[in-house]
Amino acid sequence: MTRLIIQKAKQSTPAIASKVDKNPTKTDSWLQALPPNLRELTQHSMGPLLLDLEEIRLRIGRPILFRIGLHELTASITGGPTSQLEEGYIVTRQDLERTLQVLSQSSLYAWEEELRHGFITIPGGHRVGITGRGVLDKGQIRTLKDISGLNFRIGREITGCSEHVLPYLIKDGQVLHSLIISAPQCGKTTLLRDLIRQLSNGIAALGLRGVNVGLVDERSEIAGMYLGQPQYDLGLRTDILDACPKAEGMFMLIRSMSPRIIATDEIGRHEDVAAINHALQAGVTVLSTVHGNSYEELKQRPVLNELLNWKIFDRLIFLSRRKGPGTLEAVLDGKTLERVR
Amino acid sequence: MGALCIFVGCGYLGFKVGDQYRQRTEILRYLQNGFNLLETEISYSSTPLPLALTRIAEKMRGLSQIPFAHAAKLLKHNQGLTAAEAWEEGVSCLALEFPLSREEISILVLFGHGLGCSAREEQMKNIVLAREQLRMAERAAEEARMKNQRMWQYMGLCTGGIIVLVLI
Repeated sequence: MTRLIIQKAKQSTPAIASKVDKNPTKTDSWLQALPPNLRELTQHSMGPLLLDLEEIRLRIGRPILFRIGLHELTASITGGPTSQLEEGYIVTRQDLERTLQVLSQSSLYAWEEELRHGFITIPGGHRVGITGRGVLDKGQIRTLKDISGLNFRIGREITGCSEHVLPYLIKDGQVLHSLIISAPQCGKTTLLRDLIRQLSNGIAALGLRGVNVGLVDERSEIAGMYLGQPQYDLGLRTDILDACPKAEGMFMLIRSMSPRIIATDEIGRHEDVAAINHALQAGVTVLSTVHGNSYEELKQRPVLNELLNWKIFDRLIFLSRRKGPGTLEAVLDGKTLERVR
Repeated sequence: MGALCIFVGCGYLGFKVGDQYRQRTEILRYLQNGFNLLETEISYSSTPLPLALTRIAEKMRGLSQIPFAHAAKLLKHNQGLTAAEAWEEGVSCLALEFPLSREEISILVLFGHGLGCSAREEQMKNIVLAREQLRMAERAAEEARMKNQRMWQYMGLCTGGIIVLVLI
């Protein structure tokens, strides 16, 4: 039974899994954020699947859940993984409180800003989403208390995953304005991260010298900054503005760091469009991502419709999970909407 | 020669007991200084607790740095301990080195229960409360010192003298 579960789960892991950074020290970094009892339970029950885990969910009074691809498993009380969720280990309030203390290094006061946004970034660049009761101050969330759930999102660095996309993004030695489009969990951020790394370092095979890249990482997801250090390799010439609103961050970078490329994640607000426009005026190339299943779906959203009508982006890259996260579905010319791949 | 040894020995014991009153006041005062530093680390720079405690321990002198240093060490090694548990261990280590009163231990342990597990504002309140309690404990220890330190010193010397006289 256990072997069957492991086989099923492994089948759902990325098509590009061979390039996934399965460095045990990186696994260690998120395991260290669990209290000893949950750490042991996870190690014991998920053993061979540990390096493929994508999410761990802890909710008070409900079973611990592990997600690998589209499969959800739990740790049975008797040991080993099981897909029978009712047999799983039930998370207690003490488990949750202790986990929060361990992952915040017993310094919740140092993570107030992060708590306000609902997540904490831990060493290794992994993110832990937090739910609880909001404490309001003048109508704004000041912090969270009575924590009820935690979601460990285990970040993956897939070095080289942008290699099959890069030839479509470079023309005459210039990087084209590009927008990566996909539904959540399809590898947008992972692809963007590797693109930044490659463009920052330079790609000799494509005749591109390394350029200064400015990254506005509003949700600390691309760089996984922890105490001022990026936890992922983002190349030699990348400047990072962490936890900074996208639009403001883009203006700041253009003013202060003179980047050739500005990268940011999940655009969609009016002010983002204004900032992208400003970047274009300054002659800076824009790389970004957006949630969406298709071009038609994006057109239904007023802000993105406006952005697409301007035909700012030279390349629209569509990803899916059809053959695992990061499956390249199509690359369109943003101006003519012709398929270039 | 024997008489001299008895006299010096009793005198030493008297001075030693008397000195404990001075040391207690000193430890309580230095702990308050430590809490002042912790307040600065938390309120101005939001330094994570393991680093904040390490910095404070480096700046402190004598026995009062023990709970800070020990708790920092435990939290740094990430053994899954909470701040309250690490701090309590540190207080136990201090109590092994110096006979703290039950009330003093209780102030320190209660302070640990609120350590690191809430927002900055609550942390400040916790530190202010503990510091105030330590100030009161220091005042009581100072009064006890004024009353008893000299007495123990004289008592040691006098006891030594009486024993010597009885033996002669």
